[in-house]
Amino acid sequence: MRTPLLELRGVSKELPSGGRTLRILDAIDLSIAAGEFAAILGPSGSGKSTLLGLMAGLDRPTRGEVLLEGEAIHRMTEDELALLRRRKVGFVFQSYQLLSNLTARENVLLPLELTGQAGAGARATELLAAVGLGERGHHYPSQLSGGEQQRVALARAFGTRPPLLLADEPTGNLDSATGASILDALVRLRSESGTTLVLVTHDPAVAALADRRVHLRDGRIERDETAS
Amino acid sequence: MNGGLFFRQLVRESRGSRGRLAFFAACLGTGVAAVVAVAGLSGALEESVRSQARPLLGADLAVESFQPFPAAAESAVAALPGTRTRSEELVTVLYEPGAAAAVEGAPPRSLLVELKAVEAPYPLAGELRLEPDRPLADLLPPDGLVAHPDVLRRLGVAVGGDVSLGGAPFRVTGTIASEADRLAGSFRLGPRVFVSRAGLARTSLAGFGSRVTRRILVNLPEGTDVPAARRRVSALREQLDGVPGVRVESWLDGQPELRQAIRRTSRFLGLVALASLLVGGVGVAQTVRAWIASRLDALAILRCLGVTSRETVLLYGVQTAGLGLVGSLLGAVAGIGLVAAVGHTYSDLLPPGGLDPWQPAALLRGLGLGVGVSVLFGLPALLAVRRVPPVRVFRHDAEPLPASRGLRLAAAALLLAGVGLTAWVQSGLPRVAVSFTLGLAASALLLFLAAHALLRLVARVPRERLPFALKSGLSALSRPGAGTVGSILALGLGTLVVLQIALVQRDFSRQLTADLPRNAPTAFLLDVQPDQWPGVAALLSANGATRTLSVPVVTARLTAVDGTPTAELAKRRAGDSRRERWALTREQRLTYMTELPEDNRVVAGALWSDPSAAEVSLEEEFAGRIGAKVGTWLDFDVQGVPLRLKVTSLRSVDWRTFGINFFLVVEPGVLEKAPQLRLAAARLPSAHEGRIQDLLAREFPNVVLIRTREVLERVAAIATRLGKAVRVLGAFSVLAGLVILAGSISAASARRAREAALLKVLGVTRGGVATALAVEYALVGLVAGLVGTLGATLLAGSVLTAAFEVSFRPSPLLLAATPLAVALLAAAAGLAVSLRALQVRPLEVLRGE
Repeated sequence: MRTPLLELRGVSKELPSGGRTLRILDAIDLSIAAGEFAAILGPSGSGKSTLLGLMAGLDRPTRGEVLLEGEAIHRMTEDELALLRRRKVGFVFQSYQLLSNLTARENVLLPLELTGQAGAGARATELLAAVGLGERGHHYPSQLSGGEQQRVALARAFGTRPPLLLADEPTGNLDSATGASILDALVRLRSESGTTLVLVTHDPAVAALADRRVHLRDGRIERDETAS
Repeated sequence: MNGGLFFRQLVRESRGSRGRLAFFAACLGTGVAAVVAVAGLSGALEESVRSQARPLLGADLAVESFQPFPAAAESAVAALPGTRTRSEELVTVLYEPGAAAAVEGAPPRSLLVELKAVEAPYPLAGELRLEPDRPLADLLPPDGLVAHPDVLRRLGVAVGGDVSLGGAPFRVTGTIASEADRLAGSFRLGPRVFVSRAGLARTSLAGFGSRVTRRILVNLPEGTDVPAARRRVSALREQLDGVPGVRVESWLDGQPELRQAIRRTSRFLGLVALASLLVGGVGVAQTVRAWIASRLDALAILRCLGVTSRETVLLYGVQTAGLGLVGSLLGAVAGIGLVAAVGHTYSDLLPPGGLDPWQPAALLRGLGLGVGVSVLFGLPALLAVRRVPPVRVFRHDAEPLPASRGLRLAAAALLLAGVGLTAWVQSGLPRVAVSFTLGLAASALLLFLAAHALLRLVARVPRERLPFALKSGLSALSRPGAGTVGSILALGLGTLVVLQIALVQRDFSRQLTADLPRNAPTAFLLDVQPDQWPGVAALLSANGATRTLSVPVVTARLTAVDGTPTAELAKRRAGDSRRERWALTREQRLTYMTELPEDNRVVAGALWSDPSAAEVSLEEEFAGRIGAKVGTWLDFDVQGVPLRLKVTSLRSVDWRTFGINFFLVVEPGVLEKAPQLRLAAARLPSAHEGRIQDLLAREFPNVVLIRTREVLERVAAIATRLGKAVRVLGAFSVLAGLVILAGSISAASARRAREAALLKVLGVTRGGVATALAVEYALVGLVAGLVGTLGATLLAGSVLTAAFEVSFRPSPLLLAATPLAVALLAAAAGLAVSLRALQVRPLEVLRGE
């Protein structure tokens, strides 16, 4: 068995709602190995995005432990978590989440600059070219189509070569042709970099590309399948 | 994040905020402009007075006395190295004896002048330019006289013509082209006339009881540097300390009384300017809040990408300070422009040489206060940056968590301390700063409580049967996240500051230009010999004078207070201002009377109540200055005769009546035999004033008639202009305040645009949505306006009465109209900002969101 990169042990997440407590995730045990491509599947409201948020240290579990490369991230302060994400976690979101007042190139550059990587400029150029946007680096997000914005987000996510990449419905806002090309790019970049990828989707066709499929329902793991 | 990246990110982030710069700069710039203008004007005036101090004094130092110099003073001055000269100055009447009699309608034949008798070399400093262009000594033989061209024009005399001065004939030998030792705009009783000291001796003017200021002017040797000059001056002061009636002035003091007056005025204007800066601060707080609210998503992304909360706070804090600096710089430039404009407009009231608008200290003050206020007022909103949850990238509705109570209290305390500090900087008085700050804090607390009370009230109103607009407006007020409390606070504080400025400046201006009492005398007659009084009184009454009043004046020196010589007391009071000590050693003027005039009120002791002693009644402030109270014994030297008087009463005097009043009033039966003069006051018919002066000049050349009407008109004219300046500054702030109030509503209104669109989707008409919004904003405005008005009234009242001793009269109309005006303004501004949302198709707004 491969070394686990990410481990969730008995993780629960509860939120107060109108005077009662709403349980979003219930005692999740999950281990993701380094280099693995796992898809998390489930209907709307099953807790997929909450789980992703906990994996990235964007949110804290009500109970349980989250370990990234053996470090207990649920015990870290907000700023320690930010520094951890800077070095180890890349994101791709359904709504792209580009910074609107930065150009495409600056969006890609920012994580590289934050980690102080040498040759950040060259790496940004290379990544933009790899996603087919070599000529569009000076454009602002508002001047790009949805598919182009998601490509910029991919380039940004892979820039620092993070050990873990989290993708939340990366094709959810795109038409099927554009979505397919984005998935292609995502899978290609992942296999080139060897990054561990956790992808949240409700689309079985997208999940079919993964090595492993974790099915969530009502905050619990319903099924965990590994591709044969 | 390293420095380079921080700077790059700062520039990148600022791209989204450049649009806000205009509003931010306008909020802050207005206040900073006012601060820089007031500080710059005061600095420039002081600098100008200081730089003109030597020419104004006419020498390096001057030793001054109303009496012939005592031997001690003469020998002390004789021991000084350098050049010296003497002068005598007095106010007197110049008479043109050409026509046989004073006739009505003819040009005036006499004129009140400021006479200066000098000897060569004169002046020792500054420049005196004459026409013809010859040395003064050449133009001043014993019967020669050089006068300001005004004198010749008003008397109808030409150079070479004859005039009469103090009963002696003089010939006009030239005119004054320019004289450096007169401060433009300073208080003058008449135009300048020069004669030689030998010329003065030919007249009756320097005789007994006349008010001659004698000066010995000294220029220290060439090359004496400032520290050495300072040492000489203080050594001389020490030598002459306690020598009665003698004081030393030096150009190094730079007109301390004038500078004190400038400082007093700038203190008030400084607070007016601070108030407008604080209104700007409210605008800044609103702008920063709206800005951060629009950047919450970007902040969440940054946090997601690994930017720490400390880095984001720093990023936005530095941007706020940067925006503050830019706004302050723009304001400072406007402030410099204002100083230059004032220098240009009021050049006739300013010292020669004008004003230098470039005042680095004022600029630094403006920039410092501007940046400080922008950071202080932006701070509460900036703290929210720290609490933006990164999980917002998944959940769009994840708002920043509320700050802890401790943090909120700390931010409020910091804000309060900052306001107090700026008030101290601006007023220079900790007492005023504390009351200003506490007043503002109390008002904020009141607003906070009022806002909560309103919300509680609104929540209890049964809404089922209300029309839709009212129902919707009321529910919008009390729903979670409506920001009603914040809006009421901002709007109420804005109203408070703006209205307070309006109230303070209105009453301050009113006081400055207050009408004179109707029965105030219009003329004073000085130096009337007792035997001349019946003739003078007859002349006055024959020419229609009314309310004629005369009192005896006896000059004396105070020699001891409760047995301690005044010289010793003056030495003991070395720490006090020279003015305080001067009260002990100067020549005193005493009068005697049975009953006090109406404008006097006994505040301690009882008048003429001790049959066993010769009594004196003191004006209360004067008593304080010489350290006397009821029961104190005062020793006087009445022209060589010792006199011991007991203080049996203290009086308060209403100086504003312009009646004849004295610090020292002696009981009847003590001074009647002492050598004395009479001082008289009367109301003269304005048409006869010139004729009366002409007749007096011919019959009684030593009597000086001072026409207060002219003097008071001049004072009133200066006061009116000062009042105008206060009003302009106040109006400036009121205008800025209105813009900011509208802006603060607009900052909150942007959030409502989406709701308006949603209501339209649900089928509410445009009119219905507009009415609902108007009801909501008008309610916020009404509560803010009511509490703001109450706070402004209390604050203005305390500032006016406590700090500036000006009475406060609240205007019921203004107080009633303000809350309604704020409610209307709030509704209008809210609707104006929501106009686009009301007009466009709902889908566009919803997509835009």
